[in-house]
Amino acid sequence: MSTRTDTGSNAVVAGSFEGDLRRYLCGLGGLLAFLLVWWVGAMATRPSYLVPGPLDSIRAFIDLFATSTAIVVPVWGSRLILPTGFAHLAQTLFHYIPGLLLGASCGISLGLAMGWNGALDDWLRPLVRGLRPIPPLAWIVFAIVWFGIYHTGAAFIVFVGAFWINFYGAYGGIEGVSSDLTDAASTLGVERDLSMLKLVALPSAAPQVSTGFRTSIGRCWMIVVGAELFGAPGVGYEIINASNNLAMATSVAYMFLISLAFLCMDVGFRLLERRVLAWR
Amino acid sequence: MALRSDQSTTRDSREKITIRNVSRSYGSTRALADVSASVAAGEFCCIVGPSGCGKTTLLRAIAGLDDPDGGSILVDGDPIAGPGLDRGMVFQEYALFPWRTVRGNVRFGLDRPACDCPDCGARVRELVDLVGLDGFEDAYPKELSGGMKQRVGIARALAPDPEILLMDEPFGSVDARTRDRLHAELLDIWSQTGQTVVFVTHDIDEAVTLADRVIVMDADPGTVQLTLSIDLGRPRERTSRDFVDYVARIRDELGSPVDDV
Repeated sequence: MSTRTDTGSNAVVAGSFEGDLRRYLCGLGGLLAFLLVWWVGAMATRPSYLVPGPLDSIRAFIDLFATSTAIVVPVWGSRLILPTGFAHLAQTLFHYIPGLLLGASCGISLGLAMGWNGALDDWLRPLVRGLRPIPPLAWIVFAIVWFGIYHTGAAFIVFVGAFWINFYGAYGGIEGVSSDLTDAASTLGVERDLSMLKLVALPSAAPQVSTGFRTSIGRCWMIVVGAELFGAPGVGYEIINASNNLAMATSVAYMFLISLAFLCMDVGFRLLERRVLAWR
Repeated sequence: MALRSDQSTTRDSREKITIRNVSRSYGSTRALADVSASVAAGEFCCIVGPSGCGKTTLLRAIAGLDDPDGGSILVDGDPIAGPGLDRGMVFQEYALFPWRTVRGNVRFGLDRPACDCPDCGARVRELVDLVGLDGFEDAYPKELSGGMKQRVGIARALAPDPEILLMDEPFGSVDARTRDRLHAELLDIWSQTGQTVVFVTHDIDEAVTLADRVIVMDADPGTVQLTLSIDLGRPRERTSRDFVDYVARIRDELGSPVDDV
C-alpha cells in the first residue's frame, strides 16, 4: 500500500519536472518562431517604418537607457535625471501607483462593506450596477475638466479602473464565505458581528480579494496607457510621441518596457501571494 | 435478546437536553412536527432516519444555529439562547478554517472570548494527541485526508471542553475502514471525557454501533417514531445476532427502504 503511494508520488514529481522542461522548450520555440516571422515580415515590408524589425526594436530599447531625460517629481517638485526609459516609466508610475493603491483600497473597502452589510447592499446595489459598466476611460472627460490631463487626471482614470475590479473581488469574496464556517465559528464562541468579519469573513475572502488586486495590476496598465495617449506624461505618451516622428522602433521599445514593467509587478505580486496565502 | 422500546431505562436520571414540542417548517415542508425527546447526561445518543426527516434541523436547533418555529429546547433545564461554548459541534463537511493550521483550528475556540485556560498550548497539544494527529500540528486542512480533517473537527469542538458534543453525520464522507477506526476512537474519547453526545446519521449500522440509545425519526413530517436503548457491550460485533436484530428492528420501524450508504 505505502510502496504504491511512494512510487505514485515519485512518478508525479518526475513527470512534472519533465513536463516543465518540455513546456519551457516549447515556449522558447514559439518565441523564436515569432521573432523569425517578425524579422522576415519586417524585411519584406516597404516603407520600412511600417513594421520595425526585431533588431531595430531592440536597438531602440537599448537606446532608451543610453540617453538621459530630466523629469519633475510631482508633489515634491524636484527635478530628477534618469536614463530616458526609466524616466518615462517613473512618470507613468507617478500616477499609476497612487491611482492603483487608492482605487484598490476604496474598492476593497466598499466591496467588503456591501458584501457584509445587507442594508448597505440594498441601498447601493442599483447604483453600483448602473455605474459599473461605464468604461474607466470614458471618465477621461471629467479627468480633463476637473484635474487637467496630467498626473492627477491620469491617476483618477486609473483609480476608477482599479476601484471596480477590486470592488467585485472583495464583494464576491465576502458573498462566498461559507455558512458552514460562520456556523462553526458561532459554536466556538464568536458572537459579535465584527469578530465574525475579522476572524472568518476576511480570511475566507482574502484569496478573492487578492485575485481582484492582481487582475487590477494588469488592467490598470492598459488604462494608464490609454490615459497617456490623451497627453499625460509617461510611457504611453512616448509611444504616440515616437510614432508622430515615425520612429516606430522606439514605439515598440516602449511597448517592451510596459510589458516588462507589468511582468515584474505580476511576478512580484504572485510571489507575495504565494507566501501570504500559503494555505490555499 | 433485549429489545424494548425505551421509556424507563435512562442510565442517568438527570436530563441534559430536553426537547419539547419543537416544530420547524421551511415553506410547506414540515421538517420537524411537534418533536419531543430528551437526552440524559453522559449519554451517547444517535438520531437516525432517512434524508429529510429533520434530524439535522433538530441537531442545529440544539446547537442554537437554527430557530424552531415553536416549542423549546432546554439544556440543564434552561432554554437555550443561540449557540454557546457548552455545546460543541462537529460538521458533516468538516467546516475547518482553511487558512488556519491544525493547531490554529483546534485553538480557535480557546481564544474566544479570551483564553482562560492556564496553558492553551499544552491543551492544544493534548487534544491533537487525543485525536492521533501529533506531527501534523502545522499542516493546513488542504494537506489532510477526509478522516484526518474530521479528527481536527472533533479536536476543535472538544477544545473549549463542552458538556455536549453535537455531531452531524461526521463520518459520512470517509471510507468504510477509516470510519470503523474513527468509531472506535470516538467511543474511546467519549469514555474519557464523559460528555453527552448527540450523533446524527442516516446509517442504521452506525447508530447501533455507537449509541446507548437511538432516536428513530421519520420524514414528512419529521417526527420521532421510536426511541430504543441498545443494551450491548462495547466494542460491538456487527455480525452478532443481537446487533442484527437491533438493526432489523429499526429498519422495520422505518418501513420503506432507508438510503443507508
